[in-house]
Amino acid sequence: MTSVLLQPEHEFETQDIFVNMGPQHPSTHGVFRMVLAVDGEVVRDVLPYIGYLHRGAEKLCETMDYRQGIGFMDRTEYLAAFNAELSYVMAVEKLAGIEVPERAQWIRMILCELNRLSSHFMFLGAFGVDVGVLGTSFTYAFREREVIFDLFEEICGDRMMYSYFRVGGLAWEVTDNFVARVHQVLASARQGIEDLDGLLTANEIFQARTKGIGHISAADAIDWGMSGPSLRATGVSLDIRRDEPYLFYPEVKFDVITGTNGDVYDRYICRLQEMYQSIRIIEQCLQRLQPGPIVPERMSRLLRTPPGEVYLRTEAPRGEYGVYMVSNGGNRPWRCKVRSACLSNLQALRDMTVGHYVSDAVLVLGSIDIVLSEVDR
Amino acid sequence: MKGLIRSFLTTGSTFLRKPVTREYPETHRELPERDRAFPLLLWDQDVHEPFCTGCHACERACPVECMTVMMKDNPAHTSQGGTSSRRKIIDKFWIDYGRCMRCNICVEVCNFDAIGMNNTWSGHESSTADRLDLVMDLQQLLSQSRAGAVKPWIAP
Amino acid sequence: MTAEFLGIEMPVLLEAFIKVNIVVLAMTVVVMALIYLERKIIGRFQMRLGPTRTGPFGLLQSIADALKLVGKEDLRPTGADPWVFELSIYFIFVPVFVGFVVVPFAIGWEIRALELGLLYLLATSSVSGLGFAMAGWASDNRYAMLGGLRAVAQGVAYEIPLVVTLLAVAMLSGSLNLREIMLDQGTVPNIVWQPLGFIMFYIAMLAELNRAPFDIAVGESETAGGPHIEFSGIRWSMFQLAEYAHLWIMSIVGSAIFLGGSAWPLGEDLGTPFQLLLMGIKSSALIFLAMWTRASLPRLRIDQLMGFAWKVLMPLAFIQVLVNGFVIVYDLPLLLLTVQGLIGIVVLNWAIQRAVARPAGRPGIAAWAASEATS
Repeated sequence: MTSVLLQPEHEFETQDIFVNMGPQHPSTHGVFRMVLAVDGEVVRDVLPYIGYLHRGAEKLCETMDYRQGIGFMDRTEYLAAFNAELSYVMAVEKLAGIEVPERAQWIRMILCELNRLSSHFMFLGAFGVDVGVLGTSFTYAFREREVIFDLFEEICGDRMMYSYFRVGGLAWEVTDNFVARVHQVLASARQGIEDLDGLLTANEIFQARTKGIGHISAADAIDWGMSGPSLRATGVSLDIRRDEPYLFYPEVKFDVITGTNGDVYDRYICRLQEMYQSIRIIEQCLQRLQPGPIVPERMSRLLRTPPGEVYLRTEAPRGEYGVYMVSNGGNRPWRCKVRSACLSNLQALRDMTVGHYVSDAVLVLGSIDIVLSEVDR
Repeated sequence: MKGLIRSFLTTGSTFLRKPVTREYPETHRELPERDRAFPLLLWDQDVHEPFCTGCHACERACPVECMTVMMKDNPAHTSQGGTSSRRKIIDKFWIDYGRCMRCNICVEVCNFDAIGMNNTWSGHESSTADRLDLVMDLQQLLSQSRAGAVKPWIAP
Repeated sequence: MTAEFLGIEMPVLLEAFIKVNIVVLAMTVVVMALIYLERKIIGRFQMRLGPTRTGPFGLLQSIADALKLVGKEDLRPTGADPWVFELSIYFIFVPVFVGFVVVPFAIGWEIRALELGLLYLLATSSVSGLGFAMAGWASDNRYAMLGGLRAVAQGVAYEIPLVVTLLAVAMLSGSLNLREIMLDQGTVPNIVWQPLGFIMFYIAMLAELNRAPFDIAVGESETAGGPHIEFSGIRWSMFQLAEYAHLWIMSIVGSAIFLGGSAWPLGEDLGTPFQLLLMGIKSSALIFLAMWTRASLPRLRIDQLMGFAWKVLMPLAFIQVLVNGFVIVYDLPLLLLTVQGLIGIVVLNWAIQRAVARPAGRPGIAAWAASEATS
């Protein structure tokens, strides 16, 4: 080591460049901002900034009665609003001790799984764009998302902010041709998954870009409190639908998809395979769907809950979506806290990104599948 | 190279399929009956007055407080020599479409089926240059139902 | 000195001037058409319709875009280096434009059939890398700088396989004159003898053009436009013009060198209109392939891109030159070249598979970065 260049007086002064990504950037999936310290093309450090989409949804819920809060829950998770509503209404039901009729539960399951499909479609589409397929994956995904949203619009009137689940059941009965329409949507969704699968999965460039990138170990993932497909990609088989069953999930057969490496590719594969499982669940639900009431017979017009607290979590497309609610006996929650899966998953961003290239930072962020409205609430 | 060829074949197959684009401004997709745009007040065609009695139920239930309601005595009530059975009737009504989050709660709480969600394209294509133009008064809220242009779907 | 053009004797300079003007006008129209077609075709690949708003089938879209771009304000960031910023687009556009001198649209339909035409074309087109570096550096924007540096690294890396593969073909024809190379393929196009060469040319061409899957310089999802990011209005449209003009040149040169240009299969005796049509079909096929690629493939990462150029394409290109030399010097049957080319494709496939199968991720770099961060 006697090189002239390495002698102190000749030592190069190098400096990291700070590259600011977001809140206005094509691949930050909303209004997320991160500052990358870059040495050449290699990311040395990541500093995330959140809060651009904070609307105080939790605090707003404390000023509203239980029915009014449902609309705000939609908006905390706009890509999987049914799943967000589900956590909220089930928390209230648990607090108030309300029994939900069977039919309502089956329909809730179908709609939540359909919403999981549409949410994962969104992920696959956006992820393809992050890898750089010029929107082809995006249009494939949106094609199928539109089909699902058309069905949702026929049932509850709105395409994204459904406000359809109610404490105790559903707001109204589904359409008469519901079962046939769901079958139609599933056939179309299968085609969409196959298209996206064919476009991306086996592609050598895609594999070279995603394999081994953004690795996180199972222990680290648990330490960061990750959940959902991002956690399962590391090999931890944790699915609240199976481990802490709600609705009728124990009565349907489905596999919990786990990865092995915990890299970007595994997170992608987990979500892709989960979509097939969702289709499987929906098909079983459709067989079990029986006519019946959709709201309990005895429901008071103005819902009051006994004092107490409850934490209820469900498996939303991005992971554990929990609602912690404290009631002091009134008709509105005294405290309502949303445990957001995205926020916990996002915390591991630095661990996953440092040491990779700038292009990979975009991929890692995309693979966590964040929804900024859920992070900031 | 196998995977690359598979990608090419996938895009090739979609190249030959029919495009799914809906050419929006020219062709409007038929909206489902339950489609929810913004709330409207309904018109009782039999007695030629609004269904709304100004009972404030929707105003109280609205999560975003976008409604303002004022009632008055109904001049057309039978006791006044009219034909209506409504003792009270709506006097002034404002809905701020800029605040409304289309949650359908006002429709659910209404005891008279007097308010409904617009399920036509006119409800969706309501952009204005000024935010204040989104505050609808009673006449604007009633006009479509009065003309028979809308038949909102109200959950049974 | 006089030359004949359209049956009229005129001074050489005047003839060149007229021809250049014709080519430039045609280029503008072709570029507009290419932009429109790319949007339409990629739209169909994505099951969309593409532009439909302006004119019937959106035919006027490119014109509308051009008008809008001309009407836009010409912005320059405060921190930008004024001279380098303003000059960079010329360094991108002029080299491409100069390349048109030797492009053989049909037999006898070029501005000048230079003896070293191929060399001239490659030499001029590689200057545009400098323009990207200038644009990226002068913009005073980090995305632009990243993109500019990427563009230069990529341009330099892919220049070599491109040149070497084309030279391998030139060895077969024994000439660097594009017209000679084209006429040499009267019976069998070069792609039969050089299948690997054609694939490598196509890959290197896409990289030279900064098109997907090698569009890391522009990289919408990473550097949000790269060197283009601070350019607006007419300056930005120059980038587009250069990109698509370059695509046009490369597709014509590629079809002239590998697909027999306008000489195969109709021979050189058929009239010029047929030759132009033939060239049009062949170059359109190449352009369509480029668009198909753009709609289908994800983007490579900078290290993979460089590794592919230096470790895979370069050796294969040099082996191609060596084999060509042996075949020509010892008068071996040309079929040997086809066999070698097919073997080369298998090797290329193996190299790609190997790059994927290798446990990716660079623990070395990650560990280094972590240690640097803590120290």
